[in-house]
Amino acid sequence: MKDILAKLNKTNGVRGSMVVNRDGIVVHSDFSVEIQEKSVGAVSSSILAALEGALKRIDMGKFTRFVITGSEGKVAMVNAGQTILLVLLQPDINVGMVNVDIKEAAAAVLERSKM
Amino acid sequence: MGLFDVFKTWRSTTRIKSLESSMQGRPTPGLYLQLADAHKEAGNSQKAAQVLKLGAARFPSAPEIIRRQAEAEKIERENEKKRLIEKIQTHPNPILYARLAELFKADNELEKTIDTCQKGIRAFPKYGGTYLVLGQIYVEKKQWQEAVTQLEKSVELDKYNYLALKLLAQVYMELTRPADAAQRLEDILYFAPGDEAILELLKKAKEKAGQPFETRKASMSGQHAATSANKSGEQSGVRKTIRIGKLQNQQRGGGTSERDKALNDGVIALRTVAGVTGAILVDQYGLVVAADLDSSIDEGLAGALITNVYRTASGNAVKLNVGTFEEGLIEGDKGNIHIVQLDEMILAVFAKSDVKMGLLEKSIRDFASNLMQQK
Repeated sequence: MKDILAKLNKTNGVRGSMVVNRDGIVVHSDFSVEIQEKSVGAVSSSILAALEGALKRIDMGKFTRFVITGSEGKVAMVNAGQTILLVLLQPDINVGMVNVDIKEAAAAVLERSKM
Repeated sequence: MGLFDVFKTWRSTTRIKSLESSMQGRPTPGLYLQLADAHKEAGNSQKAAQVLKLGAARFPSAPEIIRRQAEAEKIERENEKKRLIEKIQTHPNPILYARLAELFKADNELEKTIDTCQKGIRAFPKYGGTYLVLGQIYVEKKQWQEAVTQLEKSVELDKYNYLALKLLAQVYMELTRPADAAQRLEDILYFAPGDEAILELLKKAKEKAGQPFETRKASMSGQHAATSANKSGEQSGVRKTIRIGKLQNQQRGGGTSERDKALNDGVIALRTVAGVTGAILVDQYGLVVAADLDSSIDEGLAGALITNVYRTASGNAVKLNVGTFEEGLIEGDKGNIHIVQLDEMILAVFAKSDVKMGLLEKSIRDFASNLMQQK
């Protein structure tokens, strides 16, 4: 997993990334900024529960991705099977520009977690 | 602008940029305080307050930053109270009363809080948010029976209100009615599945009630389900629009304000964007202010689900290192949901996967801009 995250983190605008399981336990992480990994992992799990509940009840299908834009940056949470790929992005980045790299990384995480 | 003013502006801007750059590396409470001061000196008190809020969220045990943030919030509250009192005189609506009561409550002005709630309830008896604030006051005073009366009324008017249901369950526990508490907590789990705080409370309630700990699957309690069934007597696929002005007229025969009209028109206009399947505007209590959805979607449930996602995401945005929540985009394999914080409300727009994002974002920005002008 480390190699997948390292490759993704080379993308312009990516400040770091993390793979978390559905219970919020951090599988791997690689950040260039100071971050409380355990706390981020736990938060991702509770956000995922809220998202999946909402999509199911409104009949919008399976969760694929959630992007939060905040005053100091962006974060993308991507469904990667039994895990979530979390990518921290710079505030001024156009998510569309890094979308392909994030999708590729999520597919690689999904593939790797099947092994 | 004189030469001195130009120099002063340049110095403030340079200082702000330098401090922001230092914060990118290793933020400290001191840096947050310096940045807030720099924004204040530059004449931007709102930005200063925002920086203090972020600093307090990131360093909750730093006393100076907590003190300064409390001071800034107090000033903000006083200004907001004045604005709301004026607005109630000219363009009353139920949310204004509830918001004003909440501000009095935050400053521990209990008599004024109760008085504002009672006036709000008299003017708009069918709005659940005001009963909730009054219920909170009675909970603080440990007047459990009065609290139950207000909270049950709030839940009766809005069966998906997270705060009212949670508080009502807690009051039932105080009154040794654990089975009733468990029922309300299970109602919350219908639209907030996996909520750890609620699961924890439910476990305790069921233990006290002597019931096994298992959660109900995908249904609301009997009374709520009946209410829902009564509401959905319309044909599936039919578009359904709730208008705040219409609600007010039902409640007290009043006219609609320009702002209400802007909300209604804005929500309906969003639906005209190709690929958009619906839009909903929810207030800070999770109550639907305006909606334009297919009748197959229960707007109360949609509002509750969106509020739950918003609450979880915005409450944890600082922990995720992105500052304060501004907007979110949820993608499912059948479509997506845009969630935007507007003023003190949450706008959610439901769209198909192939919606033109740029066009939708522009429409949302236009809606926000109109709303701010009305404010």
